[in-house]
Amino acid sequence: MYRYDDLDRQFLHERVAHYRAQTERYLNGQLSEDAFLQLRLRNGLYVQRLAPMLRVAVPYGTLAASQLRALSKIAREYDRGYGHLSTRQNVQFNWPELAEVPAILEALALVDMHAIQTSGSCIRNVTTDQFAAAAADEQVDPRPYCELLRQWSTAHPEFEWLPRKFKIAVTGSSNDRAAVEVHDVGLRVYRDQQDQVVFDVLAGGGLGRTPVIGHQICTALPIAELLTYMEALLRVYNRYGRRDNKYKARIKILVRAMGADAFASAVAEEWQHTRGGPATLLTTEIERIEKQFVMPTLHQHTDYSETLAQERFDNPDFSRWLTHNVTPHKVAGYACVTLSTKVIGVPPGDVSDQQMDAVADWADAYSQSEIRISHEQNFVLPHVAQCDLLALFKKTKAQALNTANVGLLTDMICCPGGDYCSLANAKSIPIAEAIQRQFGDYDYQHDLGELDINISGCMNACGHHHVGHIGILGVDKKGAEFYQISLGGHSGHSQRPASLGKILGPSFARDEVPNVMAQIFSTYLNQRHDEEDFLSCYERIGIAPFKETIYAKSDS
Amino acid sequence: MQNLIHNVTGQWQVSALSASETPHWQTDKTWQAGLPLCVTVDVEPEPVWQTASLIGIDFPAFTDGRGLSLATLIRRIGYKGDLRALGAIHEDVLHYMVRCGFTSFLLPEDCDPAVALACIAPYTEFYQGSVIQPAPLYQRRARG
Ligand code: SF4
Repeated sequence: MYRYDDLDRQFLHERVAHYRAQTERYLNGQLSEDAFLQLRLRNGLYVQRLAPMLRVAVPYGTLAASQLRALSKIAREYDRGYGHLSTRQNVQFNWPELAEVPAILEALALVDMHAIQTSGSCIRNVTTDQFAAAAADEQVDPRPYCELLRQWSTAHPEFEWLPRKFKIAVTGSSNDRAAVEVHDVGLRVYRDQQDQVVFDVLAGGGLGRTPVIGHQICTALPIAELLTYMEALLRVYNRYGRRDNKYKARIKILVRAMGADAFASAVAEEWQHTRGGPATLLTTEIERIEKQFVMPTLHQHTDYSETLAQERFDNPDFSRWLTHNVTPHKVAGYACVTLSTKVIGVPPGDVSDQQMDAVADWADAYSQSEIRISHEQNFVLPHVAQCDLLALFKKTKAQALNTANVGLLTDMICCPGGDYCSLANAKSIPIAEAIQRQFGDYDYQHDLGELDINISGCMNACGHHHVGHIGILGVDKKGAEFYQISLGGHSGHSQRPASLGKILGPSFARDEVPNVMAQIFSTYLNQRHDEEDFLSCYERIGIAPFKETIYAKSDS
Repeated sequence: MQNLIHNVTGQWQVSALSASETPHWQTDKTWQAGLPLCVTVDVEPEPVWQTASLIGIDFPAFTDGRGLSLATLIRRIGYKGDLRALGAIHEDVLHYMVRCGFTSFLLPEDCDPAVALACIAPYTEFYQGSVIQPAPLYQRRARG
């Protein structure tokens, strides 16, 4: 992991002091509501329906055990004993007092954490693969480059006041778990034929009101020029992105208006000025950062698969958990473990202070003191020895972190929705819960197989509904909460390109949703060939059979 | 009377500016070499502007970052004179503006100049380079 030095800490302490002074000016009436709004957003504080929400940055989703314990303490002392794992790998607190936020930020700074640029029209926290440096299918560990981008984008003098928020995601695996095709900028990092680290740059992707798949605008960008290229790209966006209408202000609208080729040329032209300039990365710096992410030396283990097979046989619950929550590691004898937060009755991503402490303890005991947060709102222990899996599994039960459902129907992505968010058209959490209750049976879920259900409470799409195999979107129909359902979206993992869902038809009332789900599932089960998963089946048969089943019934 | 923050031999100072001291601003359409030029945030900078006696960038809103990119580009074409931010600027954005090459700020009426002056340099170091300090932090890190 990246280790802060004195200069990193000095900046962070100055930032907290700066924000503390701004908060005081606001509370004394010296700072207007409008101005303070912009400043607090850039320090993570967003005001929701019921109370302010503080979004803490978890850079590229990586946490040390000590950092997770600090978050747990904050949840206890300043919140109601829980936090929320967001779809951008961050942690949110829902009930902080505005006046106490500087104290919370100070507590975060003590463990080298912050909430800088987690809201507002600026460059946000860079996200990546939750299995970075661990996944067997990875080519290059993306985290050093995420850290370089984090440092470069923090309090950037020119790009702090963009037309709109700007999200960057990086993947180092062709199995893209970071959804780079639906980000403002997506980076694919790999090694070229000369074994040099290079990037393919995608721009103009995004969800929200106008979902778009990003366009590749640069191929094999050398690492040394990563920041000079980003500078050029952000400059073009900052100057020409629309500012007259916030719904048309994201970079995707600019890319579409100019055309992807013209946008790429504009960036390339600006890059002629920045390329080779002062932001060019020196090899010494690239190596300094890369060195901090070198994998911990993992103790060599002999192949454990035979014992594991026996343990599986003896313990069916453990066996299910291995099947769904444990994925291959690049080092033999190790595995990546996902701890699902998706249990019935708990909003997806909500975790208690006790759960955070427990996960921190398990990370110390079994995973090199490292934890990840996935954009599917789960915890990940990235480096667990296979011989420790059973011991870990046994501990997870007491914390309700043992659900064997990763990638299955009840492992839904869900935004906070109308229960918390002031922008919502409809609640999303009760929908997730109703689906979990009705279809929670393991055998049924297992039979349905890989299924991403994503729920957003409004067009802003924080629940990524466009890229769910089944997407559920809260809409307002004459003042009542309704839900629009789409099929066939995909975020780009499992070696398939990303795709955007197609709307099924007229929306449904809340109590109709579980029934509609049942009809979607049964249509799939009736139509599938052999082992065909939901998405492949949908791609083959199209949306019509689903429409027929669902709307035929409701018409009669 | 408006307050101007400007840099006098390395020190930021506040001066009260009377109406008679207001520069005879020209727009980019009427401007000629040697005159003070005031532009909107959406113009394309011209190399001939190097000869302006003063350049002002008029911000329509303090959240409009176009003026920051424009300042960077005006410095890139080689303009060395005073670069002034005016219009709807805000004291809490000044420190970003300084790093984009602005050297003076015409404060809005409701802005307390003492507060603005205190807001101008809240940080010792920054990660990335800027117009006034092109080398990024790591290069100083390496030396230190
Ligand atoms: S999708 Fe809408 S309702 Fe849900 S969190 Fe985002 S803004 Fe709020």
